[in-house]
Amino acid sequence: MTTPLLEITNLHANIEGKEILKGVNLTVMPGEVHSIMGPNGSGKSTLASVIAGHEAYEVTDGSIRFNGIDLLELEADQRACAGVFLAFQYPVEIPGVSTKFFLKAAVNAIRKYRGEEELDAMDFLDMVEEKAESVSLSIDLLDRNVNEGFSGGEKKRAEVFQMAMLDPLLGVLDETDSGLDIDALKIVAEGVNKLRSKKRGFIVITHYQRLLDFIVPDFVHVLKDGVIVKSGDKSLALELEEKGYAGIESCGSACSCS
Amino acid sequence: MMTMNIDNSIFKTLHKNEAWMYTNVSALSNVDFSTTTEVDFTEIKKYDIAQDNPFVVFVNGAFQEGYSRLEEGISINSDTVGDIGSRSDSLIPRGDSDTVTITGNQNKTVHILQIITGDTPASCFGNVLVHAAQDESISLAETHIAVTDQNHVFMPCTEVVAEQKSNVTIVRSIRGSKEAYHLGSLHVTQHESSTVQTHTITLGGKRVRNEVYAYLDGEHCESNFDGMYMLGKDQLVDNHLRVEHNEPNGNSREFYKGVLDENARSVFTGRIYVKEDAHQTDAKQTNQNILLSDDADVSARPQLEIYADDVLCTHGATTGEIDEEAMLYLRTRGIPKDAARTLLIYAFLNESLDELTDDSFRSVLVEELLSNLPGGEFIRALYL
Repeated sequence: MTTPLLEITNLHANIEGKEILKGVNLTVMPGEVHSIMGPNGSGKSTLASVIAGHEAYEVTDGSIRFNGIDLLELEADQRACAGVFLAFQYPVEIPGVSTKFFLKAAVNAIRKYRGEEELDAMDFLDMVEEKAESVSLSIDLLDRNVNEGFSGGEKKRAEVFQMAMLDPLLGVLDETDSGLDIDALKIVAEGVNKLRSKKRGFIVITHYQRLLDFIVPDFVHVLKDGVIVKSGDKSLALELEEKGYAGIESCGSACSCS
Repeated sequence: MMTMNIDNSIFKTLHKNEAWMYTNVSALSNVDFSTTTEVDFTEIKKYDIAQDNPFVVFVNGAFQEGYSRLEEGISINSDTVGDIGSRSDSLIPRGDSDTVTITGNQNKTVHILQIITGDTPASCFGNVLVHAAQDESISLAETHIAVTDQNHVFMPCTEVVAEQKSNVTIVRSIRGSKEAYHLGSLHVTQHESSTVQTHTITLGGKRVRNEVYAYLDGEHCESNFDGMYMLGKDQLVDNHLRVEHNEPNGNSREFYKGVLDENARSVFTGRIYVKEDAHQTDAKQTNQNILLSDDADVSARPQLEIYADDVLCTHGATTGEIDEEAMLYLRTRGIPKDAARTLLIYAFLNESLDELTDDSFRSVLVEELLSNLPGGEFIRALYL
């Protein structure tokens, strides 16, 4: 049997004493794309942050296994090295750090962790050119400071570009569609689709069904008040679009999702 | 060798003045500066970083003709352009010492090297006069470096006259031993439509006082006074500025930022004075600090003294730790905690060095910064 890429069991998490996740169960197999939808405040971004290793969140119960290892034992940078990538909803601007040097540091830190040789300047630039093209990102942006002065669309494309550079096993996209017009949305989605493979899994967090027209998920889950209340295939997203979150009834006790 | 013999009793009570309340240099009053030692001149070559540029060398305050490259417009001990320093209320002792005068267009940066060395404490002045006539442009880079760990004291004084539409840039760097005292001043007089920029970079020294006095005596002056510092154990920097807007339509910026580790201390006092009728003045002062240790300390005193009513004056001071959001972002990209921290500190400070237009000078300062920065090796491997 194949090892699950990600196996979240009964996950409870707090921030500043307030419980946000109240028993999340989710299994992602290699090659699968799971979409998590849900109303504001349901815990979607918290789930993404907890997977990535945000220290402000405290996991009080449950477990996350990633590719056979206990993910909660690892620090944020170790998780990235192990193959977890979080595309931020609000990518952070870092004045004074050029995107190119930042990426070189990241790529080489991850290669080092995986026991691969660090890239020299030439190989690194070749890789940058190839990957930037895949999301139609201008190379000129890479001379700017990390996310500084990037438009909303550029920031999101830069996140997908970084994901392509870092070659993770699991990509978590936290509302990557927010603030994008339809053209930018298509470019970002195409960039993600090019990264889909048998080995790689994705968790796509979104409010709207629109993104899922372009990144077609294998599974759709509805997160509400810190638990997954319903799971289904892509048709669930359409149902949500029609009825709204209020109209979704929880699965019955026979369903494995709760 | 010439070593200045100074009356060092003044240092004993300096900190009793309000303007010096955080900076105690009384230890200097017990130091005997009278003995002289042999000087190792081989050091000089090491600091000659731009062989195509004019180079003016002082060792323990004495001009070294044999090591210097003077070009047209640069002279030693010639007539002065006037004593601007006396306009200020600076308490730093002044002395008659070898003086370099810089005039004419100096588009190739003039490098001034002031070395203090020797096995006994030495004191030196170091007077520089910069006179940019109408439409002229002068760029100057000063290095003040103590190469031996003694209670040396520098008291350099640079005076600048920027006439109409002239442009003057001065970079002053304080480097080397972390035992030396540096009590330096810059005095700037600006006339109509002139532009002056100063950058004061403090990486070395035990007690460093950087005074800037600027007089915007003409309309439409542009003035930028920047500073950067990275200090560790037992080091103190005191950046003390007074910018006087005496005529309308002047723009001035004071922007000082630094990182303090261990028990380092930073003092910032930025006084903006706007004279009656100096309308449309736009003046801004900012002091940003990052503290890496609970024992580091900052005193920021932004001050405005405004007698005109149609002006825009702002000040701001921030003191904090490293941005946690930025740390997380870097770490989710696989960059380990220590490296992420180093990268953010370097980025914060390097913003100031990026402003420097003289490449050779900037790279020397980057090098010195990296060697002072915990984890600097990581940055060096990344950038260089």
